[in-house]
Amino acid sequence: MPSVTNRAGIDVADPWAAIEACYARGWTDGLPVVPPTEALVDAMLAAGPWAPDEVLLHEPVRDRAVTAEKAAINAVMAGCRPEYFPVVGAALRAVGDPAFMLHGPATSTGGSALMVIVNGPVAARLALNGKGNLFGPGARANATIGRTLRLVLLNCLECHPGVLDKSTQGWPGKYSLCFAEEEAASPWEPLHVSRGVAPGRSAVTVYAAESGHNVLSHGTSDPERLLTCFADAMAGLGSLSPGRSVIVFAPEHAAHLARAGWSRARVGAWLYAHAWRSLADLKRGGKVEPAFFSNPSLVEWLYRDSPGGPPDPLPSAEDAERVSEGDEAVRVHRGLGPDDVLLAVGGGEAGGHSAFFPSWSRGRSVPFVTVEVPA
Amino acid sequence: MIRILDPTLGSAPALPATPRAARPASLRGATLGLLANGKSNGMALLDRVADYLRERHGVAEVLRVAKTNASAPVSEADAALLAKHCVAVVTAIGD
Repeated sequence: MPSVTNRAGIDVADPWAAIEACYARGWTDGLPVVPPTEALVDAMLAAGPWAPDEVLLHEPVRDRAVTAEKAAINAVMAGCRPEYFPVVGAALRAVGDPAFMLHGPATSTGGSALMVIVNGPVAARLALNGKGNLFGPGARANATIGRTLRLVLLNCLECHPGVLDKSTQGWPGKYSLCFAEEEAASPWEPLHVSRGVAPGRSAVTVYAAESGHNVLSHGTSDPERLLTCFADAMAGLGSLSPGRSVIVFAPEHAAHLARAGWSRARVGAWLYAHAWRSLADLKRGGKVEPAFFSNPSLVEWLYRDSPGGPPDPLPSAEDAERVSEGDEAVRVHRGLGPDDVLLAVGGGEAGGHSAFFPSWSRGRSVPFVTVEVPA
Repeated sequence: MIRILDPTLGSAPALPATPRAARPASLRGATLGLLANGKSNGMALLDRVADYLRERHGVAEVLRVAKTNASAPVSEADAALLAKHCVAVVTAIGD
């Protein structure tokens, strides 16, 4: 299909010069890219249902429109095979959902990665890994689909480190963080089905994730003891906020929950209820900022599980560091409710190593977003 | 020779979506808007800026607006309020 867009490009001597030219122009994530020739880009476009000039992602803050053709160029550079393109497009649509507010996670000091969880038949068709070494390198589909999102942010949305991307530290998940849910190992319906997609269809769920916490547990099969470990990770002061959580259970841990007959809802509710620190702990850890007390939604978060509710009058800025009588009894939960905890299953059959990923967003400002992959 | 395609969007859009307001000739006697993003110390920073502008440029009144969600755009209502009452608005982040 001929492109109707302006095919801007550069002429280079050979593929090796092309790799260096991409580096010279700042078109990479630090790793070499596949030179995006017209033939490779056309093949990528042909594997998706979109016209070249169809906008897959519009970023409204800076009014930037990423077309299918620009997405295809970056997908080629990332190393994607053409058959991955429908998943790439779905992921771009998902992070481009206005509710996702992409400008926030893309530019914030928080430095989040764009996590893409893939469900449905497309995972097996593309050999997307949902098993051992789930988050690690080695599977082409995992590595390159996730990488495409980062290249689009860099090249199309100009999220260059230090310029627009103000990440204080970021983390390696920013290179690529895409995996399949291991649906066969899950005690529940697949993640995307729990989020409203019809069974048998394929979908991606996206999430702006801070670096994951390893949750190591080999000592128990009792669900409450097991989940105590997860709730403790979720309640860590370092990531404590009104934000959301993604838990990826290793199959070994999921099997304990399956044997115990705990539903997805029961696990989510238990985790939310038990992932808390006292207000006194928050103050001792410098986690209560003076500005919180003049923000009604943060006052509500701090005191929603407090005997008697927020104090009247509200604390002043000075109280942010002063532990008051009664603060030990105020339980400050991670998140605002069980709906803020998303559960998935993945990883190798052996090993009690699961993961908790805190959200970039410190609240409900950014929802989980699920988009179907076109057939 | 081989040709590789440009993965970027090229230069910024030629025209801004919204035309810019005219620069005020003076701030003397004006109402200045302060729009803080809601992060800690944002309004404190803006208050210092307002003090300077009062001393040096004769700003008369200050209208303070703080967002409650740093990553969401300013609300339509707050934007309208600032546009209605202020000659100029200074916005800032804390972090």
